[in-house]
Formats: sequence, C-alpha cells, structure tokens
Amino acid sequence: MRRRRFVWMVAPAVAFVAVMVGFPFVDTLWLSGFAFHFGAAPHAVGLGNYRLLLGDDKFWNGLWITFYLYAIALIAQLVLGLYLALLLNRMRRFSKVLRSLLISPFVLPPVVVGLMWLVILDPSIGAANYLLTALGLPPSLWLASPGLVVPTIALIDTWQWTPFIALILLAGLQALPADVFEAAAIDGAHGFALLRRVTLPLLAPSIVTAATLRSVDLLRFFDVIYVTTQGGPGDASETLNIYGFRQGFVFLNIGYACALMIALTVLVLAVVGLLARLRRTVAW
Amino acid sequence: MANAPLRARVLAALDGAQVVVAAIVLLAPIVWMVAAGFKTSAAVTAYPPRLLFHPTIANYAILFARMPFLHYALNSFVIAGGASVIGLLLGVPAAFAVSWNRMAWPAVAMLAARMAPGALFLLPWFVMFSSIHAVGSYWVLILAHAVITLPLALWIMLPFFDALPRSVIEAAMIDGCSDLAVLWRVALPLVGPGLAVAAILSFVFAWNYFLFALVLSGFSTTPLVVAAFNFVGEGVTNWGALMAAATLIGLPPVVLAFFVQRHLVGGLAAGAVKE
Repeated sequence: MRRRRFVWMVAPAVAFVAVMVGFPFVDTLWLSGFAFHFGAAPHAVGLGNYRLLLGDDKFWNGLWITFYLYAIALIAQLVLGLYLALLLNRMRRFSKVLRSLLISPFVLPPVVVGLMWLVILDPSIGAANYLLTALGLPPSLWLASPGLVVPTIALIDTWQWTPFIALILLAGLQALPADVFEAAAIDGAHGFALLRRVTLPLLAPSIVTAATLRSVDLLRFFDVIYVTTQGGPGDASETLNIYGFRQGFVFLNIGYACALMIALTVLVLAVVGLLARLRRTVAW
Repeated sequence: MANAPLRARVLAALDGAQVVVAAIVLLAPIVWMVAAGFKTSAAVTAYPPRLLFHPTIANYAILFARMPFLHYALNSFVIAGGASVIGLLLGVPAAFAVSWNRMAWPAVAMLAARMAPGALFLLPWFVMFSSIHAVGSYWVLILAHAVITLPLALWIMLPFFDALPRSVIEAAMIDGCSDLAVLWRVALPLVGPGLAVAAILSFVFAWNYFLFALVLSGFSTTPLVVAAFNFVGEGVTNWGALMAAATLIGLPPVVLAFFVQRHLVGGLAAGAVKE
C-alpha cells in the first residue's frame, strides 16, 4: 500500500529553485538576445550575440583551453585515481588517518588551494623549482609560462581531486562480487590480464560515474584559475567560464556574457549526456 | 605473517612504500603552506627554501591586529551558516517527500541546479540585485549560497530517508499525526546522523564557495575566501601572512570533514555513489 502524502513539502524547495535558478536561467537566455552593456539601455539583437561568438577568436580560444584542460586533467586523475584505488584495495587495514589525509585536498577551499600552489610554484621563491634544480632539471615558469600554464593548472587540479576519484573507485571495487575474482584466479588470470579482462570491465560503471562528476567541474572550472592566473598569461589559461566571467563582470558586457554562459551550459549538458549514454553501455 | 611466502611479504612492503609516497605527495603542499605561515618574511622568500626555520607567530598577529580578519571570518560564518539553515529548512522536508513518494523530478531539478555553471545565474542575479541596490547585503549572499546548499542537503538526506522502515511512518500516519508532526516527531529523530552530515557539508560548501561572493559581496560583507584573494593584488604581497590566512581559512573545512568522512564522497557525488 502506498499513499501519496507529504507532496506539498517539496513546494518551498521547488519554489526557491524556480526563483533563484529557473527564472535566472530564462533571464540569461533572454538577455543573450540583447546588446546590453551594464548601465546602458539594452537593445535587442536577436541571435546577434551568437553570431558574434562564432567569429570571436577569444571564444574559440576559450573553447580550446576548456577542452585541453579538461582532457589532460581528466585522464591524469582517472589513471592516478585508479592506481591509488587498486593500491588501497589491496591493503587489509585502511586507517581513519589515511582516509582523512585523502579527503584533505578536496575539502580545502579552492581559493586556499590556489594560493598555496601560487607560493609553491613561484618561479623565483617557490619550492617546486628548487625541487627541479635539485634533481638536475631546468627550472620552470609554471603558471607564468603561456605554454605550461594549462598543464600546471591540470597538475593542481589533479593533486586536489585524484583522492576523490580514488575513493569513488575504491567503493566500486569493494562492492564487486568476490566469486568472480575467485573464478578468474582458478582460470589462471593474474596481474595485468586480471585487471584488463575482469576488474576494469566490472569497474567501468564507477569509472564513468567518477568521470561524469569531474567533467561537470572541469568544464566550468573557475576558482583555482581565477586565483592563480585570472586567465593569463595573456589568454593562455582563459577557459570559456573565465572568458564569460570577464566579459560579464570585468567589461560589464552582460548580453554577450549571457550568450557565452548559454554556450558553456550546452557544452556541459552535451558531455554529461554523452557520458550518461556511455554509463548505460558499460552497465552490467 | 612470518610464515607468509617471501613473495607476498615483498609485495606487501612495496604496496606500503607506494602508500607512503602517495601520502607525502598529497600532504607536502599543505605542510608547506602551514609552515610558510610560521616563517618570517625573509624566510618565506628565501631561496633555496628553508626546511628548518625559527617559527614565528608574527604573521598571525598581523592578521588579527592589522587586518579585519575576524570581521571577514564573521562574514563567512554568517553567509555559510545562513545558507546552511535555509538549505536544510527547504531541503530536508523536500527530501522526505521525494523519498516517500518516489518522485524523481524535484531531485533531478536540484541536480541540474548543481551542474550548471555558477555564472549562468550570477549574471541575472547581478543585474536584478543591482537594480534594487541589494548587492553587498548579507541576505543576497545567503540566498545565493543557499542555491549550493539546498541541492546538497536534499541529495544527502535522500538515502537516509530511504532507509527508514515505511511501517514506522505509516503507523504515525494511522495515528492521525499531521504531515509536519510525522516529519518532526517521527522521521527526523531517526535520521539524526544524516542531518549532521547535511548540516556540516552544507556549511563547508558555502564556506568554500568563491564565485558568488566574488561578485555579490560588498566592502563590509566580504567573506574570507574573497578577502584572501583580494590580498594577493595589494602591492607587495606578504606571503607569510597570506599563508597564515590560507591555513586558518582551510582549517574549518578540513576539521569538519573529518567528522563526516564516511559520508563525504557520497555527499559530493549527490547520489551517484553509494559508499
């Protein structure tokens, strides 16, 4: 017997989201149809902002930076996270101290993470360059280098979020049926073959889940970039989200910024949709 | 272990060594930040960097004596605390109703709100709140951050409500309790741990969130994360004091997360992962 009751209790939450998220979303769509410089009167341009966007080099640069950062950070985190999860899964004891150590990077405020790495990666006083020279390697400009800034930001994000992926995959590993591994061991599967033919296919749903969660964050990556480089040097780390933010809140070019944000949201939804389809094909 | 084959013991030792290396890599940057907060400005900028130094609390003295650090901290508490209260007040009853009636759409709507880039809402908020001269007020900041805490609270509470035996709730309904009485007197006392997790993670998320306060906070309502960011641009940066500030700002989330660590990943994954 199931009686519908308490339904009204969702109303306040739904009303709040409608006012604070739903309405602003529609408003952003609406504003993206205007040439609207904050403080001046808006005038309608239809799809003009989107046409502008297609011819805007900074938009294509932002799109490229967004995907470049997304790809290297996601791959690095998934590989290292899987490695760490397999390692932790082999340990019999998994102490509370170790777990709290693993969660520390991703519960720190991104601003703190950014400031911390700003000091470590400083080309003249930073510990990172000292480490490089101590190993006989040439020092690097890190965040100040146009060619290295994106990999460096990916490095910071990988430091922060690899433990999160590891914990998701560890939960996935521990939920796998033990008899499959026993059967595989009897069949003589060991080491890399076991990993490739048994563990990874079984773990695939967890991997896709972890990838989805990180994709949402990486495609709209903002805080650490804004704290460390604000998109620089030049526009070398100016992701779509940073570019949209600067158009909106630095140049007060609200209409165009709204069009950029709509484009970014479509991008996030498209990637999440693709990963949701992938999640269904790897389900077992 | 003494009888275990040599091969197994070697492999276990290798695993142990790898865990130690991983722990050092994860911990070293944080240790470096905390240490820098206790260095004199000469020691912070010394090259090669100094591993051994005479610790000083001068940087902390600067934060509290020469900067309104406590005022920024108060702002962070008001914003994160207020947003957590709103998130729980709206999110907990919603989670209960969603769980009882197996309604998917409100939960999905909350998830969508959590996935969109923040600036998508921030642009119209900025225009709206500017037109009524509300940018910089506590209530705008609290409402903005409740957009973060509400979906979080709802998704954290869902599994806790799902785990309640339906018979307990049905018994209360047959006794003629009102909807609110069922929630307040019967359901909530049984999901105490869930409430604690939801409250703590809401607070941590709002405390950490940067983008909304970057745009919507004013001179007297600046929270810590924005104040620390602004500190970088001001002339010659005092790195020691900045690292001391970063340490203090990072401390509450790390300590709070320690208490809910078993639920942390599930909470961050918003129902996508069961631990």
